[in-house]
Amino acid sequence: MPDLKIEATVNGRKVSKNVAPFARLLDFVRDDLNLTGTKEGCGAGECGTCSVFVDGVLVKSCLVPAAKAKGAKIETVEGLARSGELSVLQKAFHKTGASQCGYCIPGMVMAATAAIRSNPLVSDDEIKERLGGNICRCTGYSKIFEAVELARDVMNGARPATALQEEEVDEGQFIGANVRRLDAPSKVSGALRYAGDTVMPGMLHVAVLRSPHPHARIVSIDTSAAEALPGVEAVVTSADVPGVDGFGVFVHDQPVMAKGKVRYVGEAVAAVAAEDELTAKRAAALIKVVFEALPAIFDPDEAMKAGAPIVHDYAPDNVTKHIPIRKGDVEKALAECDLVIENTYETQQVEHAYLEPEAGLAWVDHDGVVTVLSPSQNITNHRHMLSRIIAKPINKVRFIMSPVGGGFGGKEDMIYQGMLALLAMKTGKPVRLVFTREESIATTAKRHPARIHYRSGFMRDGRLKAIALRMVSDGGAYGLSTEGVMRKAAILGAGPYDIQNLQVDTIGVYTNNTPSGAFRSFGALQTQFATETQMDIAAEKLGLDPFEIRRINMMRNGAITHTKQKLGSVSIGRVLDQLEKAAQWEKGAPAQRGDSRGDLGTDGARRACALDARFVEAPTKTMKSEVA
Amino acid sequence: MLTCDDYLTPVTLGEAFDAMENHRGVYRLVAGATDILPWAREGRAGDVHIPVLIDIAGIPELNVREVAGGNVRLGAATRFQRFLDDKTLAAALPLMPFCAVWFADDQIRESATIGGNLVNASPAADGTPALLAHDARVVLSSRKAGKIVQRTMPLSEFATGPSNTMLAADEILVEVQCPALPKHGGAFEKVGHRRSLVISTVCVAALVEIDATGERFADVKLAVAGIGPVPRRMTAIEEALKTKALSSAILEDAADSAGDLVASRTRQDYRREVVRGFVLRALINAALRAGASTKLISREFEAKYA
Repeated sequence: MPDLKIEATVNGRKVSKNVAPFARLLDFVRDDLNLTGTKEGCGAGECGTCSVFVDGVLVKSCLVPAAKAKGAKIETVEGLARSGELSVLQKAFHKTGASQCGYCIPGMVMAATAAIRSNPLVSDDEIKERLGGNICRCTGYSKIFEAVELARDVMNGARPATALQEEEVDEGQFIGANVRRLDAPSKVSGALRYAGDTVMPGMLHVAVLRSPHPHARIVSIDTSAAEALPGVEAVVTSADVPGVDGFGVFVHDQPVMAKGKVRYVGEAVAAVAAEDELTAKRAAALIKVVFEALPAIFDPDEAMKAGAPIVHDYAPDNVTKHIPIRKGDVEKALAECDLVIENTYETQQVEHAYLEPEAGLAWVDHDGVVTVLSPSQNITNHRHMLSRIIAKPINKVRFIMSPVGGGFGGKEDMIYQGMLALLAMKTGKPVRLVFTREESIATTAKRHPARIHYRSGFMRDGRLKAIALRMVSDGGAYGLSTEGVMRKAAILGAGPYDIQNLQVDTIGVYTNNTPSGAFRSFGALQTQFATETQMDIAAEKLGLDPFEIRRINMMRNGAITHTKQKLGSVSIGRVLDQLEKAAQWEKGAPAQRGDSRGDLGTDGARRACALDARFVEAPTKTMKSEVA
Repeated sequence: MLTCDDYLTPVTLGEAFDAMENHRGVYRLVAGATDILPWAREGRAGDVHIPVLIDIAGIPELNVREVAGGNVRLGAATRFQRFLDDKTLAAALPLMPFCAVWFADDQIRESATIGGNLVNASPAADGTPALLAHDARVVLSSRKAGKIVQRTMPLSEFATGPSNTMLAADEILVEVQCPALPKHGGAFEKVGHRRSLVISTVCVAALVEIDATGERFADVKLAVAGIGPVPRRMTAIEEALKTKALSSAILEDAADSAGDLVASRTRQDYRREVVRGFVLRALINAALRAGASTKLISREFEAKYA
């Protein structure tokens, strides 16, 4: 395989490197030049974290073969602040709080830099269009747009340079003040290293062999061909676990790698450490696993029926956790109600899609401490679990939390750290695993899909008298955070309403689907969706304003929740008032609204989706602009 | 991931044909690479090994950009972003900027080539209907008995099905030629799952010329993608509108038949509705950009469709 010689100018310096002929510009920049401010969020041109300038134009380096960079002038995010001083744009990102997890930010800074270079007077709408190829999952984009607008104005003299400085804060008065994030400079400059950016001398690369079956018995695993491949240092399977093999947030039902059987498509079966990623991947493909397919179960209601395939022997009914709550007499109350609304709601599985795919580095230090560096959202729990798994005392296990490039609950589970620890112990070398985006989506926890059967009873005046709700959630193949999610769903599911008669059942169920776990709002979202939809339907049927029916039933200061928690201060009233105002709500029952909407075209109402900011100065005008 | 044993970057057409002859059967041509790299990933083609990749994007013939004598010549490696930043090009091909702005995103438009979009022959390609509406012809080059020869064909005959074209194994698409249409107004309407970086569910491209009265269609060119195996012109609607006076009624009549062309594998009802709306919207926008009198279309009609 002839190497490709790349001579280029990178951030003003001439470089010359030999790379694989199929290397991408992204690999060249990150692996050969160790410029890790350029990130790989997806590897497929979707997310924009890998944006770099080539001969002055911004491209996505994951879609550019390195060979195209021969002789080119390349500028990466590290090149923007070469003098050591942040660029105006970077300072603006710092000022407005545009960076949160920070993983998308180098790409955002690059796209914004390109926008202002292309058009120094770029309009607010054009900024949004020019950043269209970059995805952020934390900010909702507002702070990012604010930053670009600020930088544009400062560069054009429309706002003074002092606008980039931190606002003055009265001594000690930080609540309500606009303060800059301490970690922002490292994020806007690309200097911050996430786990996948971290390298150690002699580091090996890890690839994981995953299950193609949703439910199958593992008859045999033959790793000999993989181990014989030159460059391979170790292969591990569940047989390499020295201690008690099991982890999970509530119940330790998940082995480090599949043990005896696989329970979902994508479950780790074996892992390889080799001198480079490609060798590790090729070796993983050489592992021969004989599976014997088992009947699989994909629907949680079906899974609870007698005779359904059993996912875990310890739970023959496939129930991971059932949380029941009872208050008052629901059946009696429903019978007395003027209106009973009964519906079944279903919500879908959702991926967190943090911009940073899972990654981790593990090594055994000079004192024999097994050390794992990863963006874990739950390191203390992980440390204790790993100590049992590898049968070492707690002082011989260390977890380092690397910057989390977005988590949203999805990085609470120890799904790969165990494999890394085993490989570090077996090879005596640092080992690193970086998930591909596809691997991240296929194998990590999701938001629980839920089926919610709901009955609400109302009196004619809008009073909510009783709720009976039963939520069956697909927890997938392993427990992860299912128990907690069921608890939270049960506590919050009936909404912020004062209800005397309540019956709640939230049930997490094992299936052979991708495991469900923690995800922002942690179970409350699914039930809230059902609760609030029931409220809207009730408003329509009773001829009440949707805000009004909520005000009639909302908890007030001093309320006691159905789980017996006394609430000193309840803010829903204020929330409803603000929401009603912000939405320019037209009062009345939903059924009273006609075809026309008075709020369209008014101040604060948004335009329809369009991509025309760059054509505003085109010679031909549209009728809209003439009319307006 | 995509792997290869050798990545060649010929700088002349001759070198490219040398490489193709030397590696017959084991090579693939690459231009912008924005389709092949995401294709060779898990969930699509998976890990793909192609022994030799021949990158033709640097060849001068594929980078021609010329507007002269009422004609436009575009090398196949022309990047989509040029339709947004080259004013001469935008004036000669008034539909292309509106197509380009919906094509992928700013970064990918700096890599993705028009030739790649045509050869890729996706049923939902954005560039193809736009160039079809522009009456594009494609120039295919090959080397026969040591001599580089060319053949030219209308773009409408080039794609034969999803991922299939008339391009022979030994040929390179080198150039796209279009008549310059500086008096036409252009419009491009697209819908997908989001705004940037999305494959079209449906897209409609329109070019309209209005006669001296400011009230009649002198010319109408319409093309659609995402509704069948290959993008296509909507000739019946074009013919029905030519020389007619522009009015809400005639536009609605013309658009009513648009849905009949839908032959997609999925979501036919949805696409029928969208195509009708897009034909109306594209015709209104293109007509107004071509200088049609704004009095001809009621504000309500424009608000509803455009």
